Amino acid sequence: MDVSQYLEIFIDESNEHLQTLSDELMVLEKEPENKDTINEIFRAAHSLKGMAGTMGYKRMQNLTHNMENVFSEIRNDKMKVNGNLVDVLFRCLDALETYVDNIRNNQDEGTDDNEPIIKELNDFLASEGKTSGPAPQEQKSEPSEAPADEEKSNDVALADFEKNAINEALKKNMHAYIVHVFVDTTCILKAARAFLVFKNLEGHGDVIKSEPSVQDIEDEKFDFDFSIVIVSEEESGKIVNIIKNVSEIKDVQITEITTPFASEEPAVVETVKEEVKSEETTAVEKKQPAESKKAPAAAKPAVKPVGRSVRVDIEKLDVLMNLVSELIIAKNGLVSASSSEEGSSGSQSFHEQIEYLERVTTNLHESVMKVRMMPIESVVSKFPRMIRDLSKKLDKKMELYMTGEETELDRTVIDEIGDPLMHLLRNSADHGLESAEVRAERGKPEVGSIFLNAYQDGNNVVIEVGDDGNGIDVEKVKRKAIEKGAITEEQAALMSEKEIVELLFRPSFSTADKISDVSGRGVGLDVVKSKIEALGGAVEVKTTYGAGSTFIIHLPLTLAIIQALMVRLGDEKYAISLDSIQTIEDIPVSEIKYVHAKEVITLRGTVIPLVRLRDVLDVPGEPEETDNITVVIVSKGDKQAGLVVDSLIGQLEIVIKSLGKYININKMISGATILGDGSVALIIDANTLV
Amino acid sequence: MGELKVIDNNEAGETAVQYIVVKIGNEQYGINIQYIDNIVKNQRITRVPKTQKYYKGVINLRGEIIPVMSIRIKLGLEADEYTDKTRIIIIKVENATIGIIVDQVNEVITLQEEDVEKVSHEKSDDANGYICGIGKSKGELVSLLDIVSLIAEKEN
Repeated sequence: MDVSQYLEIFIDESNEHLQTLSDELMVLEKEPENKDTINEIFRAAHSLKGMAGTMGYKRMQNLTHNMENVFSEIRNDKMKVNGNLVDVLFRCLDALETYVDNIRNNQDEGTDDNEPIIKELNDFLASEGKTSGPAPQEQKSEPSEAPADEEKSNDVALADFEKNAINEALKKNMHAYIVHVFVDTTCILKAARAFLVFKNLEGHGDVIKSEPSVQDIEDEKFDFDFSIVIVSEEESGKIVNIIKNVSEIKDVQITEITTPFASEEPAVVETVKEEVKSEETTAVEKKQPAESKKAPAAAKPAVKPVGRSVRVDIEKLDVLMNLVSELIIAKNGLVSASSSEEGSSGSQSFHEQIEYLERVTTNLHESVMKVRMMPIESVVSKFPRMIRDLSKKLDKKMELYMTGEETELDRTVIDEIGDPLMHLLRNSADHGLESAEVRAERGKPEVGSIFLNAYQDGNNVVIEVGDDGNGIDVEKVKRKAIEKGAITEEQAALMSEKEIVELLFRPSFSTADKISDVSGRGVGLDVVKSKIEALGGAVEVKTTYGAGSTFIIHLPLTLAIIQALMVRLGDEKYAISLDSIQTIEDIPVSEIKYVHAKEVITLRGTVIPLVRLRDVLDVPGEPEETDNITVVIVSKGDKQAGLVVDSLIGQLEIVIKSLGKYININKMISGATILGDGSVALIIDANTLV
Repeated sequence: MGELKVIDNNEAGETAVQYIVVKIGNEQYGINIQYIDNIVKNQRITRVPKTQKYYKGVINLRGEIIPVMSIRIKLGLEADEYTDKTRIIIIKVENATIGIIVDQVNEVITLQEEDVEKVSHEKSDDANGYICGIGKSKGELVSLLDIVSLIAEKEN
């Protein structure tokens, strides 16, 4: 079967299941007796196995299968959950994640069998599970049946022991049936459906034969139908109902075997064979060669990475579709308005249509934005697991508290924000939290808390990452900075506490006394800062020595469209993002003062340096001599600057576009936009001028 | 249409390439048609501060922002004079789109392999580095521009 078209779904769903597994395992570790959790885990593991099998990823399927064995033992109270077991299971998840990553990148699961992990799993099973229990029976039945059937040809030829089983059953007044099950042709995970059929039949009878073999069915080596021979006390109608209860099963045909088999009576066997053959072999034979041809073909072509995708609510798409159709109507309205322009009514309807168009485009913009938004949950959900691992690795007790996982951000931001957040959390765990002894000394609870809070604040999303640990030792930072030659002692004496903390964001600056696995190589905070700034955001620190520190990240809700102030410089127009603008002031030239030969103004008690945009941007021509200058006050953190412009044009919603890769652009230009008249205006990144 | 012709010729076993002949200063230059996306009339160019000096700025081409290069400055000639014959040739190379200002677009020519003379790359001359051959067409000489090296080079 060509499965490449399902690859995206597979990857998406695998990641979902892996996440569920990880979440639930965390819960399970804390509440080993929680039945709901273990059931949830079992379901997720089982779906994962089915999907991997469907897609033909044998190694992944094998590993999940082994995990499932363990889960099954736990579920049946044959095994106790302990820390070591959870560790191994988490390592399994990591291995599975690697498989999924490999599949995403080159459509192949890789060659790592992960035997050591599987062995560990089986060791657990061997040491704790009682192999005679009913649970492994279910697992065992698959492999034991498979080899017996594999050498058989495609028809339902019954081996002697199977015939005997049927004869035995008939003697006991039980019924034997040949059941032919048809799976819906639109079904994606037919192996899983087939498995459910088997599962549901458990307890109602014994499946003594299946065609193709159970293993093949699990590996999805069947088209859309398969046959099973079952012995049961139930009536045929009941069996059919049980099977039909599984969704996506299209049809069930059932034939009862009433005559006992006898080795001397080949005629009866023949009829059974015939009967089944007529239904079965044609289908089986047809697809078998087709499949073997397709399989290598599907594996070979297009070893390109699978594209990233966003799952979009159908409703959101419907809204978009409606808006687009409205847009077309508006366009048609304009066309007709322009053709009947001569009369006075023409110009009025023209305006009406433009208003209509405006409304539609605004809505369209909002809807598209919504489609691009994702909750940050998709990023932060992996952190509890990470903190758990860190807790073990660093031998510190800690707990992660998260709020606001539902806060939404643009997809592009979501993709990029994971690493910086991870850095900050690791920092908190490693540098932030003190050792247990120190915590006890300071009268803090033994378990350190790390928190991650996200919330929306106007046009920004704020993410706070912090801990109740040591806080930043400003003196130590200062000493280190002087030691490393980053600042001189005189500079250090003049610096405020805040400025010193800012030093931490400089490249290759680490205050950790020893380098550990987790952090301390000094490649952290500067990367965090540059990444967040590249996203148009900002990061600041609040810290109290001895009580903990908090990193506060401000991110724009969206990157593509911003509100901007349009300004004029000579003949040129520029846009400045409204987010960074504080106020706009008219200042008499006489109030400009000079500090270190640089122009400054005093505004409500604050000294603000002036930046002549004309000079910075090499605008041709000379400015007109005026008594007043227009100053746009912009801020970054708590620093301010006054940008001197010729005149203001107004506020405008602009779409940010890139300038292309071959043209070198100064970093103070963050992009360009197209104005209503079709001309291009550059966007000034005020942050670089402060 | 241009592309179709090229394919036809290739099928006939010949290696003919089509070039658009443009005038820059007093010389004729040929640009391989496979790189050309569009030819537009000169339009308002928005200056980009502090960039390479041969980039005159950016234009808006149907909602896309495209940097525009002055080939005259790049080749070390005197600055552009804009007339009503000035055109911007939109070129697509390696997923990037760039405009090139030329004084005039003359015609499309088809050159067989034997009509093209390879030039040795002597880096002494500014212009020579961007010429990949000299074509002969109707008794006139056309310098064939090496578009990739013309655009890909990035001065920092």
